[in-house]
Amino acid sequence: MELPSLRELIDRWRPKPPVPFAVLFKKFKSILERNNSILELMGDMGDKLGGDYIFDRQYILDSCEKLGDQVFKLVSDLSLLCQRKNVALFTAFERIQYQIREELAGRRALSRTDHILPLAELTHDLADEGGNKMSFVGDIHNILGFTVPEGFVVTAGAYFDAMERAGLRRRAAQTTDQLCQDMGKGVDEASRELREAILNMPLPRGLAKAIQQAANKLSGEGRHLLAVRSSAWGEDGESSFAGMYESVLGVAPKDIIPAYRQVLASLFREEALRYRLHRDQCREEPAMAVGVMRMVDAQVSGGLYTYAPLQESDEHMVVSAAWGLGKPIVDGTAETDTYFLKRDPPHTLVSSEICPKTTRLVLGPGGGTRTEDVPEDQSGAPCLTPEQLTQLAETAMNLERFFKRPLDVEWAFTPGGELVVLQARPLSIRPRYCTIDEDVSEATKDVPVIFSEQGISAMGGVGAGPVHLVDEGGDLSDFPYGAILVTHHSSPRFARIMPKCRGIITDVGSATGHMATIARELRVPTLVGAGNATRLLREGQEITLDAEHNVVYDGVVEALCRYELAKEDVFEESWEYRTLTRVLRHVSPLTLLDPDAESFSPERCKTFHDIARYVHQRAVEKLINLSETHQEIKASAPRKLITKLPLGLTVIDLEGGLAPAATEEIVEEDVRCAPLRALLMGMNATDMWETHAVAVDMGSFMSSVTRTMSADQSHPSRLGRNLAVVSREYLNLHLRLGYHFTVVDAYLGGSVNDNAIYFRFMGGVTDFTRRSRRANLVSEILEHFDFVTEIKGDMVTGRVKKHPTRAMLDKMFMLGGLIGYTRQLDTQLDSDQAGQHHLEEFLQRISTLREASE
Amino acid sequence: MTTDIPGTGSPDASTDKAGPARRRTSILVLDDEPIVCKRLKPFFQKAGYEVEAYNVPAEALARVEERRFDVVITDLKMEGLDGLAFLGKVKALHPDTDVIVITGFATMETARESFRKGVFDFVAKPFKLAEILDGVRRIEKERGLAQ
Repeated sequence: MELPSLRELIDRWRPKPPVPFAVLFKKFKSILERNNSILELMGDMGDKLGGDYIFDRQYILDSCEKLGDQVFKLVSDLSLLCQRKNVALFTAFERIQYQIREELAGRRALSRTDHILPLAELTHDLADEGGNKMSFVGDIHNILGFTVPEGFVVTAGAYFDAMERAGLRRRAAQTTDQLCQDMGKGVDEASRELREAILNMPLPRGLAKAIQQAANKLSGEGRHLLAVRSSAWGEDGESSFAGMYESVLGVAPKDIIPAYRQVLASLFREEALRYRLHRDQCREEPAMAVGVMRMVDAQVSGGLYTYAPLQESDEHMVVSAAWGLGKPIVDGTAETDTYFLKRDPPHTLVSSEICPKTTRLVLGPGGGTRTEDVPEDQSGAPCLTPEQLTQLAETAMNLERFFKRPLDVEWAFTPGGELVVLQARPLSIRPRYCTIDEDVSEATKDVPVIFSEQGISAMGGVGAGPVHLVDEGGDLSDFPYGAILVTHHSSPRFARIMPKCRGIITDVGSATGHMATIARELRVPTLVGAGNATRLLREGQEITLDAEHNVVYDGVVEALCRYELAKEDVFEESWEYRTLTRVLRHVSPLTLLDPDAESFSPERCKTFHDIARYVHQRAVEKLINLSETHQEIKASAPRKLITKLPLGLTVIDLEGGLAPAATEEIVEEDVRCAPLRALLMGMNATDMWETHAVAVDMGSFMSSVTRTMSADQSHPSRLGRNLAVVSREYLNLHLRLGYHFTVVDAYLGGSVNDNAIYFRFMGGVTDFTRRSRRANLVSEILEHFDFVTEIKGDMVTGRVKKHPTRAMLDKMFMLGGLIGYTRQLDTQLDSDQAGQHHLEEFLQRISTLREASE
Repeated sequence: MTTDIPGTGSPDASTDKAGPARRRTSILVLDDEPIVCKRLKPFFQKAGYEVEAYNVPAEALARVEERRFDVVITDLKMEGLDGLAFLGKVKALHPDTDVIVITGFATMETARESFRKGVFDFVAKPFKLAEILDGVRRIEKERGLAQ
């Protein structure tokens, strides 16, 4: 190692010259700009999940790249500003970046080494682990909230593990390869050999133990029997493989391992091999996840097709039902009752055929199932009541709406009367009129359009049904099943009725709001920001919403609904949609909320949004801190602005923003910065600070506030420290009042073309509903004053440019009033009507004040 | 990459049951990102167009050699055949076919080059469905194609 030179030693010994304040402030500004561009990019990415955009793989890769780059630079900027390394923050960044890259690469690390995944944790996101069929079942329970049997999945990872250890994985691959080359010659022999090998293969000890334990637990230590079901990759997906794999029913826990092997082996059944050869899939390695579910003690069970596969009945759905367990029905060996029902609510019974049912399959006491005679009085009776039929039909239609496919649903009613969905798979038969050459545009050509090209698609798709207008704050408990929700404002409170509704239309709302996110999760066709839908649509009016073309038709356009179900590809199942959704989970949610909480730390940053929020907060604090300690500033001194309202404001004057003679403590009269003056006037001039009626004696109220303020001078931390950086024309304000967080950046008074105001408002302590209500209110007010606004969750941004200085100062005055007015507002916004009321009230007050000042 | 989209297009307008009186505007979509084809095809079909979609440039080229389309929507950057070259060939074969270029790599240079080759419109990816529909409608208007 070289010794440091004398010169270097002296340099080290000397105190470092401080970085000029101007440089640090520039860094601070760049943090703000980057922060904004990150928030915008996040919003953009969220928008793409709505139905309006076409985006591709490249877009996702590019956006993630850009976003990662910006966040990295943001963290670096903070390091420069604070002259610190911020190791923890870089670590958090690296961690999130890594998770995003893994998502992009399609790698989802298996979190469980035992390869067992409880059904309660399974959704389509984990289809690679759980296989298609079981992840469908997971969605039905975990997203849609229907009852399914309890159970778990032995993952596809477990299959690979077992096959690998037994030396069979390569053999299987070679065999299929060979079959592929030989055009399927010798497939019967190959199938037999492979299956035999799998039926006899030893399982890795850990895996066998884990499966056994899970099965024992699930069976209540032997009290219940189990159903062991195939859930292969691709099964019930793009290709159906219907009935090609095996399921073993009525398995006692002690027999779980052989049953597991039996289902694995069915992956290489001759039919399945032929099917793969035929579909040109033999070069894709197959995998078998296996679902283990508790057998449902069924009083009556059966199947339901949401489209009857008979030509003359294809307007209807068909239910088959029999006493006892459903296997004979699925196998087609049982005498069943058949019911045809209307697809439209209230799902009227069209016809039914009740057969004499002489036998039924029931659970045997010691394991297995057995066939017994049906008691005579039940034999000729219908298995289902009208209520049960309605419940079945509604459930099935909800499933169809979610999966966007005609479905084959297996179901059972327990002796207690509970409906359990056993499984649902896409019907390979498409509705008859849904062939490609049926011209769907013909079907809509003569249908009256109520409105079109209005609004933003928050979730694509088609839904038809009667309009149900919901008043702001109106009761939701009587929301009719199968209706289309039409309302003024988007609100996440509609989440609970979404499973019942066929579509959502709102006058106001954003594609990235909370409601839109939930609608996407539940796949409800949703059009937001449609302007005047509540005025154009009548209660009870039958309509069809096409949330892809943003059209609302008068009446039910059956052909359009069918076309939607017959589309070859469901957008929500595409790699692009799923990947963007997953990536955004590491990007958008804001979990760092309270800057005063201990949890507000780099270690707790879970998303890029958290990092941006953290950096912003620290940057503001740093600038306040600098203003108190930086040598250059100390000379000109940061000033405490004694305002009439308790703002706790520190002002840094860059040039000409304060009166020259001003001392360390200044009052509002010393402010020369035009935008800040106007803003303070707006705050003071009104009784906007508190929205509830303040005691008549405004003066004494204000003076008491001022007194409190003066007393607090020695404890600025108690108020939270707020910061304004000013010059004569420029204001950069960061205001945190309670949990509300406001940023104003304004340049006014140069040439008209340079005039610009940026306003951002977010936070609040109440629930999401009220916060988004307030966001909507703020946005509407801003729009009234010519701001271009954007709402992302509970954050509102507004921009306005290039208006004459005088008009811009008016807007600053308004913003002052707005900051005061909304300060406590979210606690009062208990209904959407209240939002409307406050909007009118605010506009009224501001216009009165402006008239008075003229 | 699967290419099960091509070849399943609507029957030619002339064989349509509705008769020759109602001629629909024909569109060919070429993009090597399957998602673009999968979404544009049903979208335009629903809007009343005759659509064929391809994600292999050579297949699309073979198709335009067989028949003329009113509108071609093509990606710019693709494996195999570059969108500009495809555009050139389409224009050489059918000078009255209008081409809309969609690309995620929009630069001034490529835009200029596209316009020089006679492209009708240039749309940057990602784009709104309404945007591309608007482009097609403008073509129909200029060409006097009925809708």
